[in-house]
Amino acid sequence: MSDLIPIRVTVNGRARAFDVAAHHTLLEVLRDDLQLTGTKECCLVGECGACTVRLDGRIVDSCLVLAVESDGGEVTTVEGLAPEGGLSRLQAAFLDEGAVQCGFCIPGQVMAADDLLGRVARPTVAEIHEGLAGNLCRCGCYEQITAAVKAAAEAGPG
Amino acid sequence: MSAEIGGVRVGDSPRRVGGHGRVTGLQRYVADLHLPDELHARLVTVPVARARIIAIDASAAERAPGVRFVMTAADLPQPMPRFGPQFRDRPVIAVGETKYHGDPVAAVVAETRDAAEAAVALVRVEYEELPAVFTIAAALDPGAPLVQDPSLRPGDPLASTNVLREHRVGWGDVDAATADLVVENRYTFPMVTHFAIEPHAFVAAPDGDGIAVWSSIQHPNWLQKILAQILGLPLSRVRVFAPDPGGGFGGKQHTKYEPLVALMALRAGRPVRLVLTLEETFQAVRRAAAEVRVRTGFMADGTLAFQDIAADYLIGAYADIADRVVGKGSYPGCGPYRVPAARILARSVLSHTVPSTAFRGFGNPQVNWAVESNLDAGALALGIDRLELRLRNVARRGEAFIPFDTPADGHWEQPLRRAAELIGWGTPLPPGHGRGIALGIKSGPTTGLSYATVRLLVDGSVIVFAGTSDMGQGARTVFAQIAAQELGAPLDWVTVVMGDTSVVPYDQQTSASRSTVLMGNAVLAACREIQAKLRAMAARLHGLAEASVGVDRGVVRLPGRDLTVLEVLVPGLGRLGGELVGNGEMRKDAEPDHPLGGSAAFFEFNCTAVEASVDEETGDVTIARYVTVSDVGKAINPLQVRMQDEGAAIQGLGHTLMEHYVFDETGRIRNLGAIDYRIPTSLDLPLEIVSEIIENEDGPGPYGSKGMSEGALLCVASAVGAAVREAIGVPIRDLPLTPERVWRALQERP
Amino acid sequence: MQTFTYARPATLAEAVATLEAHGPDARALAGGTDLIIRLRDGSVSPSVVVDLKRIAELRPGIRDGDGWLSIGATTVMTDIAADPRVARQFRALAEAAAVVGSVQIRNRATLGGNVCNASPAADTAPALLVYGAEVVAVGPGGSRRIPIGDFFVRSGETTLARGELVTSIELPVPARRMSAVHLRRTRRRGHDLASVTLCCGVDEAGVARLAFGSVGPRPILAVDATGVLADAGAPAEAKAEILERMYAEASPSPRSMRASPEYRRAMLRVLGGRALRIAIDRLAAGE
Repeated sequence: MSDLIPIRVTVNGRARAFDVAAHHTLLEVLRDDLQLTGTKECCLVGECGACTVRLDGRIVDSCLVLAVESDGGEVTTVEGLAPEGGLSRLQAAFLDEGAVQCGFCIPGQVMAADDLLGRVARPTVAEIHEGLAGNLCRCGCYEQITAAVKAAAEAGPG
Repeated sequence: MSAEIGGVRVGDSPRRVGGHGRVTGLQRYVADLHLPDELHARLVTVPVARARIIAIDASAAERAPGVRFVMTAADLPQPMPRFGPQFRDRPVIAVGETKYHGDPVAAVVAETRDAAEAAVALVRVEYEELPAVFTIAAALDPGAPLVQDPSLRPGDPLASTNVLREHRVGWGDVDAATADLVVENRYTFPMVTHFAIEPHAFVAAPDGDGIAVWSSIQHPNWLQKILAQILGLPLSRVRVFAPDPGGGFGGKQHTKYEPLVALMALRAGRPVRLVLTLEETFQAVRRAAAEVRVRTGFMADGTLAFQDIAADYLIGAYADIADRVVGKGSYPGCGPYRVPAARILARSVLSHTVPSTAFRGFGNPQVNWAVESNLDAGALALGIDRLELRLRNVARRGEAFIPFDTPADGHWEQPLRRAAELIGWGTPLPPGHGRGIALGIKSGPTTGLSYATVRLLVDGSVIVFAGTSDMGQGARTVFAQIAAQELGAPLDWVTVVMGDTSVVPYDQQTSASRSTVLMGNAVLAACREIQAKLRAMAARLHGLAEASVGVDRGVVRLPGRDLTVLEVLVPGLGRLGGELVGNGEMRKDAEPDHPLGGSAAFFEFNCTAVEASVDEETGDVTIARYVTVSDVGKAINPLQVRMQDEGAAIQGLGHTLMEHYVFDETGRIRNLGAIDYRIPTSLDLPLEIVSEIIENEDGPGPYGSKGMSEGALLCVASAVGAAVREAIGVPIRDLPLTPERVWRALQERP
Repeated sequence: MQTFTYARPATLAEAVATLEAHGPDARALAGGTDLIIRLRDGSVSPSVVVDLKRIAELRPGIRDGDGWLSIGATTVMTDIAADPRVARQFRALAEAAAVVGSVQIRNRATLGGNVCNASPAADTAPALLVYGAEVVAVGPGGSRRIPIGDFFVRSGETTLARGELVTSIELPVPARRMSAVHLRRTRRRGHDLASVTLCCGVDEAGVARLAFGSVGPRPILAVDATGVLADAGAPAEAKAEILERMYAEASPSPRSMRASPEYRRAMLRVLGGRALRIAIDRLAAGE
């Protein structure tokens, strides 16, 4: 089997040190090695966004990042968005606006929305559509997701 | 003093029950579950559409590090166990022949995902490629190879063809009918796949002297039955866990690889998990493609004289539930109209392709596309407004528009008029724009059985046991709202337990938009039983006759005063405590003489209206305004209803504008995966979507509700296609309306 | 995916040495948005993957000076699309970078990766051709500059030699004002691979440049120095004649499942015409 490479990554604010195989993606390591199963596996080619995480301040498709590439970096997953046991204002907005059906795409959508609001305080509908265009929702919840992001933007940071 | 019926009521839109887990990522879908000591499985396939398996040499794979074993047909009980909801035609794993691109011939079981994946490449399959049929024409050709062994259908005259079954429905005499205008056209509907964002996932583990299986299945009780049969176990020793699926849409209704995974787990003596890749899901489930010939007879005033419909559905190599899709989907094919004479012949045509299965709409969208488009063709030829034509012909409430079935159960002209109003029908159109309006109808469940158990605990909290699968449609919330209202509990004091066949009573299935009506009524009945017990309790406590005590949802009404549930329950249960349990059942029995096995419990009815423009240089379709109006009886949770309707619309835009399998000349799928199979994104939405509902409280479900969630998908293509036709002046009869297809129609425009 | 040795050189010399030593058995990793997909589907199986992102001399960034805008090869599309200098002077490149994919993809995909991948549909290629970009490559033999027109050979193949890697892509600040636009055809409005990708630029001297991709094995640049195309008032037939000669170089693959050759050719014409009008308008408006 392949050699393991020791890496250090801050995950959801917590410094972690562990060994990874060179060919394992960040997605696999988060889910299988760190048991952070909130980030989902779907297309594995960077099209669906279900695997979206924040890496060094930017959202990426974690299926297209090797775990070793995150060495020395900072990763935030959906589990790291909410205050302890609670909901961020964005997550609450998703629930209030009915932006959640089956829920499988939602961690990715929330990560992308969180990123967008961090860059653009009051995005237009067009900006929301573009900011979340890398997140597929087969249940077709886009209208409600857009409304949730707008509502969260209006409510202000929290 | 009268107590308020407070808290969340039916008709409110509280936050989705189970929503918290979904937005935080804490909810566990099947692929998120890990069992101690688990093994990982991967499937082995051959890269051709159809092949004769000559030999499988797994020795190199089995010697690879971490590999426990490789399972092939030779390792399974002989004769090969077969299963399927309609026909027992599907082998647990391919035996002798692979019948479609992606049909597994072996499965590797290993200690790690890496080891399993690496070993797949080491399994040597010697095979001979065979000619495959993957279009309707090819499958029906007299010289076509047979997809199924005729011995699987003894005594069936169609067994020597690739027609699995013919479904004939009709009334009146089409051939004798006179018409002032006959319009005949041929329409096609593409082959598309469900593309749920959660790929199918399966885990099996020996469980004492039985087995436990976790699956993303929509029908846990069906799965349990099939597993018990194949494994030779009593139902009581087969436990199926069905965590909420991450999207189903019908593609997770029926058993797929669970028997294989179960047999591997029993052989290994350890848990085995198989999670499909997205590509593998395209090779596991899809919708039936169809060719539909429609011949419609009109009178000069636009009233319908007859409908003569011939629909061929291209189903896959194994029947799954596809034949039922064909029969049930084509059955209301004439639409929600008065049709004096009708003849429908629908055929399920086998092919060497991925088995088609249930998919939201269940065979109706294919015929709807043809029939609604043909109505427009007639309206145009007669010079009659397309809305007017529909108003003239739409059945009124109570009319037996299908003579031997449930009469029209809604005021269907209401959604039609409302949608027309919302789209601005009849108002001037901007240049280059077109409008379309279409009606969709689907039969609800024709038979059904759901049990529910409700427990009212000593502190007033409630547990509802309901075997429905909540895959996003919000069943959990619906049942919680019903229980909260009936038993006076705050919504977040109601827990809904689903998806465990050892704990949750029997539910036949989650399909046909049935659950609000069937399971909802069972939950309501269970609550009523508890209410009866509360009445008896209150009567006993207060020395009253039971007849003088009422329970009105969460309030116990005595002569002269009202009490809360707790004010009766706590003293009533006394020092030993305890709980009140209610059981409810909703049953719709089969009608053996009915063509579908039973009449419709209700109809799903939708009107969709669209305004669109076309970029005539590129063929791009822009939907300026999209209107959908459904007749739902009563919205238990209006927000969830709206989400289902808008979600269905957006999903339907997929097969309307962009989705289709691409095959090579031999029947191999070329566009597996997300890069070349396009579904709608946030950038592909109509510029404006308006959705409304009609609530006449005239449904058979709790509080007058009807089932919903498929209706709004039925006529998406028809409405969009009609708008495009008006915009460019030529009809297009094939889907999807990709830019290239629209461009070609424009090039050929006279 | 199959395993490999992961190399993380800290210097350019180290990277070059590793790439030279392994030749085709090594693959450079920048953004990973192409490479990881190929590793997963097995279409490449290198024994060594060389991560370029920690190389001291290859920090991402955009620098201007000496009449050139120098874009580091590891600069991501998000930053290229957002850079005011790119937006001002090389607008079509900013437009191309903005549509390479979703936010998640643009945050990783690099310009170096886009050109080295040499997909005929590479979104940045037409703009780079129109702007006359040069690729700076460093290898065992030292450093050299390759005009972008000489860089692409065919799908997946460039003129990079064994052991060479791209360190930057340089765009000459044009001596004459030029306005350009990037357009593309896709199967849906959502992010998609392009079935035609095109850039048209016109300059103050009346030279029109048209580059297009995804209609043949490599992106193509055609130039009209007659002034006819760039002239808003020139007769349509005269323009059409020149454009048809340009389009004649296109050879769209009949085997593509994204679009048929007829549709691609037709869209080439549609986009070419539209892009020309937009470029002329932009130049006139002083953009």
